[in-house]
Amino acid sequence: MIISQFMTQEHRDCDTEFAQAEQLAAEGKWEEAEKAFLHFADDTLRHFKREEDELFPAFEAQTGSAEGPTQVMRYEHEQVRGLIGKLAEALESEDRDAYLSLCESMMILLQQHNMKEEQMLYAMCDRVLPPEIKTETLGKMKEVVL
Amino acid sequence: MFNQNGLSLDQAPPISVVLRFFFSGALFGILAGIFILFFGTAIFDAQSMQAVILTHTLTLGVMLSFMFAALFQMLPVIAGVRLAAPQQKANLLQYPFTAGIFALLAAFQTSLPWLYALASLLLGSSIFYIVAVMLKNLFELTYHSASSKGMVMALLSLAILVILALYLTAALSGTIAGSYFVQMKEGHYSFGLFGWISLLIISISFQVIEMFYVTPPYPKAVSYYLPMGILGLLIITFITGLFFPAAWVIADIVLALVLSAYALLTLLRLTQKKRPLSDATVWFWRTGLASLLLSMAALVFSRFVDIESIKALSYLFFAFFALSIVFAMFYKIIPFLTWFHLNSQGYFTAPMMHEVIHPKTANKHLYIHLTTLVTFTVSLFIAPFIYFAGLLTILSFAWMAYQIIHAWKLYRHTQETGEKFEMNMPQA
Repeated sequence: MIISQFMTQEHRDCDTEFAQAEQLAAEGKWEEAEKAFLHFADDTLRHFKREEDELFPAFEAQTGSAEGPTQVMRYEHEQVRGLIGKLAEALESEDRDAYLSLCESMMILLQQHNMKEEQMLYAMCDRVLPPEIKTETLGKMKEVVL
Repeated sequence: MFNQNGLSLDQAPPISVVLRFFFSGALFGILAGIFILFFGTAIFDAQSMQAVILTHTLTLGVMLSFMFAALFQMLPVIAGVRLAAPQQKANLLQYPFTAGIFALLAAFQTSLPWLYALASLLLGSSIFYIVAVMLKNLFELTYHSASSKGMVMALLSLAILVILALYLTAALSGTIAGSYFVQMKEGHYSFGLFGWISLLIISISFQVIEMFYVTPPYPKAVSYYLPMGILGLLIITFITGLFFPAAWVIADIVLALVLSAYALLTLLRLTQKKRPLSDATVWFWRTGLASLLLSMAALVFSRFVDIESIKALSYLFFAFFALSIVFAMFYKIIPFLTWFHLNSQGYFTAPMMHEVIHPKTANKHLYIHLTTLVTFTVSLFIAPFIYFAGLLTILSFAWMAYQIIHAWKLYRHTQETGEKFEMNMPQA
C-alpha cells in the first residue's frame, strides 16, 4: 500500500493548503491568500507531474493499456489546471465572489477526482505493480520537481 | 472492467435527466403545500386519510423524485455505475411513475378499487423497473465502496416496501382479505422511513460529506456495516413482528439509537471540516441532522407515552430531516452540474457556480425552510398556524422550482450563444 499511502497524503496536504487560501480570500487578506494559493498550486501541479511522468506510465506498462483509467485521470488533471488558471486570475483582480465561486467548483471536481484515484487507481497500482517496480516508481516520484 | 469501475468519462447523465426529477419533486412539493391548506391540522392524525394523502405526496412525489435525481447523478460518480441510455430510462420511469402517484392519491380519496389497481400497476412497474436496472448494474461492480454497498441496501428496502405497498393496495381495494394488514403497514413505513430514505441519505453522506466539505472520512466500521445492520434488523423485525408485534417496539428503540449516533457523528464530522466557511448547505445538513435527532427522541418517547402530538412531532421532524438533506444536496448539485457540463463541452463562457445559484439565494431558502419548520411545530399547539405552514411550504418548493428553471435557462442560453473550443477528448 506504499503508493496509496504516499499519494493519499499528498491529496490531504493539498486540501489543507486549498482551504487556507479559501479562508484567507474570504477574509479579504489577499496577499496571504496568494501565498497559500501558490503553495496549493505548486504542490498540486507537482503531484500531477508525479502521476503523469512516473506512476501512470508504470501502470500502463504493467497493464498494457494507455486508454483506460489513466487517460481519464489525465483529462481531469487538465480540467483542474484550467481552474487553477481561473482562480489565479480571480486572485489577481481580488474578486472575492468569483474566487469563492471557483473554489466551490474546484473542490467538488478535485474531491471527486481524488476519490477515484484513492479508491480505485492507487489501489490497483498497489495490487498490479510488482514490489520492486513499486519501490522504484515511488522513489522516482519523490524526485520529481516542477 | 475499468469503465465499470467508474473511471470512464462519458459517465455523467445528461443534465436534463437530473433536473427533471428535481423539478417534478418541487411541483409535488407545491401540491403538498396546497393539500396542507385544505386539510389543516387533520394531517397530524396519522390514521386520517388526509395524513395518508399528504404523506404519499411527500414521500412518493417529493422524496422519491428527488432521490431518483440523486441516484441518476450519484450512481456514476460515487458508485462507478454507468447506466446506458439514461434519457430513455428516465422517460420509462417518470411518466408512469407520475401518473401512478395521481392515481394513488385519487384512490385514497375515493376508495375506488380500479384506481388502486391502476396505481399499483403504474407505480409497481415503474419503480420495480428502475430498481432492477440499478441493482443489476450495482451487482455487476467488481469494486464496491461503502456508498455503493449502502445504495444496494437502500434499493432493496425500496423493493420490499413496494411489495408491501402492493399488499396494502390489494387489501384496500378488496382484492384480498388482508388479514396481515396491520403488520404489512408497519413494515411498509418502517422499510420506507428507516430502510429506504434513511439508508440512501446515510450511504450518500459517506461520500458527499467528505467530498463537499473536506472532512475526515467516516470510520470504516460505520460506513461498511451500518447500512447492512439496519436492513438486517428491519428484515428480522418484520418477520418476527408477523407473530410478535411487540418486536417493533424494540426495533424502533434500537433504530432510533443507531440513527441518533449517525446524526451525532455526522454533526461532529461537520465541525472537523477543513474548509472553515459554512454556507447554506452546511446549515441545511445541520438542520436535517438536528431534526433527525429530535425525531428519534420523539419516536422513543412516543413508545412509552401515548400522546398524539409527540407522534406527530416525530413524523414532522423526520420529514424535515429528509427535506433538509435534499435541499443541502440540491444547492451543491445544480450549480456544479450546470458548470461542469458546460465546461466539459468546452464553453469559455460556462457560468460559475455562484452565477447559477448565488449563496445568498440559498441562504434565503434556508431562512424560509427554518421558518416553515418553526411554523409547523407551533401549529401543533396553535392550530391556525397550519395555514402559514402550508403557504410557506408552497413558497419553499416554488423557490426551488424557480432555481431549476433559472439553471436550465442559463444552460440553454450558454449553449446557444456561448463560445466554445473543440476538445479532442470525449465529452462528459
